[in-house]
Amino acid sequence: MIAIRSALAIASAVALAGAAAAQEVKQAPKAAAAPGLTPSNVTQQMLDGAANDRNNFLHTNGDYTQKRFHPANQINAGNVRRLHPAWIFQTEVKESMETSPIVVNGVMYVTTSFSQVYALNAATGEQLWQYKHPLGPITTYCCGPNNRGVAVYEDKVYLATLDAKLVALDAKTGSKVWQSDVGDPELGYSETMAPTVVKGKVLVGTNGGEYGIRGFVKAYDAKDGKLLWTFNTIPDNSVGVWAEKDATGRDMHRNIQAEKDQLAKTGDPYKTLGGGVWQNPAVDLATNRIYFVVGNPSPDLDGSLRPGDNLYTDSLVSLDLETGRYVCHFQYIAHDVWDLDAVSPPVLVDARDKTGKVIPAVIHGGKTGHVYVHDRKDCSLIRFSDPMVKQENMWVLPTPEGARMLPGANGGVEWSPMTVNPQLGVTYAINLHQPMTYHVQSSPYPNGKLWLGGAFKVIPTEEQSGNITAVDYNTGKIRWQVKTPQPMIGGILSTAGGVVFAGEANGRFRAYDANNGNVLWSFNAGAGVNAPPSSYMVGGKQYIVVAAGGNVQIDSKRGNNIIAFTLD
Amino acid sequence: MTVSAALMGSLLGAVVLAGAALAEPVEERAQPCAACHGENSIPQQKTVPVIWGQGQGYLYLQLRDYKSGARKNDIMTPLAQTLERDDMLALALYFSQKRWPNLQQPPAPPDVAARATRANVAIGCTGCHQGQYQGEGTQPRLAGQTREYLQQSMLDFRNRTRGNNPGMTDLMLAISEDDIAACAEYLAGLRLEGSPR
Repeated sequence: MIAIRSALAIASAVALAGAAAAQEVKQAPKAAAAPGLTPSNVTQQMLDGAANDRNNFLHTNGDYTQKRFHPANQINAGNVRRLHPAWIFQTEVKESMETSPIVVNGVMYVTTSFSQVYALNAATGEQLWQYKHPLGPITTYCCGPNNRGVAVYEDKVYLATLDAKLVALDAKTGSKVWQSDVGDPELGYSETMAPTVVKGKVLVGTNGGEYGIRGFVKAYDAKDGKLLWTFNTIPDNSVGVWAEKDATGRDMHRNIQAEKDQLAKTGDPYKTLGGGVWQNPAVDLATNRIYFVVGNPSPDLDGSLRPGDNLYTDSLVSLDLETGRYVCHFQYIAHDVWDLDAVSPPVLVDARDKTGKVIPAVIHGGKTGHVYVHDRKDCSLIRFSDPMVKQENMWVLPTPEGARMLPGANGGVEWSPMTVNPQLGVTYAINLHQPMTYHVQSSPYPNGKLWLGGAFKVIPTEEQSGNITAVDYNTGKIRWQVKTPQPMIGGILSTAGGVVFAGEANGRFRAYDANNGNVLWSFNAGAGVNAPPSSYMVGGKQYIVVAAGGNVQIDSKRGNNIIAFTLD
Repeated sequence: MTVSAALMGSLLGAVVLAGAALAEPVEERAQPCAACHGENSIPQQKTVPVIWGQGQGYLYLQLRDYKSGARKNDIMTPLAQTLERDDMLALALYFSQKRWPNLQQPPAPPDVAARATRANVAIGCTGCHQGQYQGEGTQPRLAGQTREYLQQSMLDFRNRTRGNNPGMTDLMLAISEDDIAACAEYLAGLRLEGSPR
């Protein structure tokens, strides 16, 4: 296998170069449309202070703690009913939108499916430039050609692409400054996440948990794209402790003896064990550590080929930022055969430990429907919340005919980031209720092709729904919950104005009272609002912005709009 | 698929010669493909797929898999043996830039379309094949493909005759043969939004 991979890698360098030439790069740098509007340099100090920056939205999830809590309160629970569109920008690409708009001193950066970037005037929606990434011929991805946004630092904008490249663009013109290979798309690697930039490093993970990859997080030099370190999310010894219970103490019905026999026969499966990381890490600036979650093992539903706990799949992992060295981990589900993995980005909060003392904590919203609260020091679990969705028949093992279990394989909380209102001690999560049957089939590793080991099948006759749930992370109790008619994927934002914003597959974009979930405002965007909202201020006016482009995974109506809202 | 031994022989000969002449333009190297896939975009038989306008990444992967043996076909397997990776990518690019034909297959009646849509809800076909089943990159376009080829391919995945994408085998096993028939009829009758094809 190694020999074949090397040969392919050499051949692919030649072929991809040819293919890139065949597709014209259509950069369209235009002169800055608004007088005096020039993209600004972003300093590390600005990135560090993002949580208190009312004018900007500098990180995919708001700030390094990933609270998605915007400090502006001009738009608040008392006046949000007057919110209305300020402008609408239509992108060229009408396909699934998951972008988190980034705003720097009046300039907004958004992305579309197929790894395109736009720079816009955040006050008017006018286009400043567009970057169309020339995708190579090989792109391998399971769940839509998504992109979740860019990172900004100094004079550059960073994009990770569907053909597994990391690209640095000139923030002023959109022209490419450098490009680095992150993985080989022919082996199942692809990029959909927004990078995270911190202290001169650009951090990216990888997709590919459905393709038998070996996952990683990599750090690149922000200046020139040189690889600084790689952390393999699957260690050479992935076996673990043969855990029989999940994080909540439920029996997972593993056949440990059969797994041990398989291990003796075929060895550690680490080379093709999956473990993608496709959401941003949280950064603890005080300790210089990062926290991220690792996705499912490959193949998703067939555990017979991958004996052991499959470390560090389905886990929270912490690393040292400087070196990429392992610090601690906590695995939610060992030897997962349901794809109920960990994808929603972790959030750093101060929370009470079991003795009531407030400590640095990190929380994660699981596909299982629980919010997990951990001690940041050693990743240990402090508590898990009441379930936010129905749980039935857990953990029944998948069968060839299909076994029904709730939640379905999308969750609970899918990749959607949560938001935290630190003043209330509450985290808000959006959830799916999608009854599914879990089917298992066994087949050998297919060399970078889709490798599910079975199927998750939505039960078409059962009702689906979604919800927004407010969870007190100091107690694990649900404060309030609002049911929505369709499963929710996308993201959520809370603000110092006491408002929570979230979109729905039916096109509704709504504002909720952070205290009680009362609906304060509603707007229909005409296509699925399945992206995380952002907020910012220009010229003394606060805006809320969100993409309405639909979603592949729940097949909501596609669109191509970026919509910014403001008060009268 | 019934192609005479004589035709196969001549096809193989043509491609072997083509392989020998490295400087030969891709148009000439693609010429033998027309014997089955059609001189002008429309395949000679309904069980042969449309490759004009199909995605480059997908076409490349199929040629690669025929060569490696991951996908098997009496005609394509020997043909692919003569191709190197660059040849495959060049041929794939050539056909991907052609215009997808309109095979004049009728839209599926509402009950068939509803059944196909339910199957998509169940197993998420559009997650890879895109919202209009237009495909992209390594995911093939299904909209407007020949009904017979679509149905046969899905059944071949289901019964493991076609082994180069076990994920598809898993998904086809999760729906019934009747669902597959409905999907084939529905997909064959689809036109892309804003396109006559």
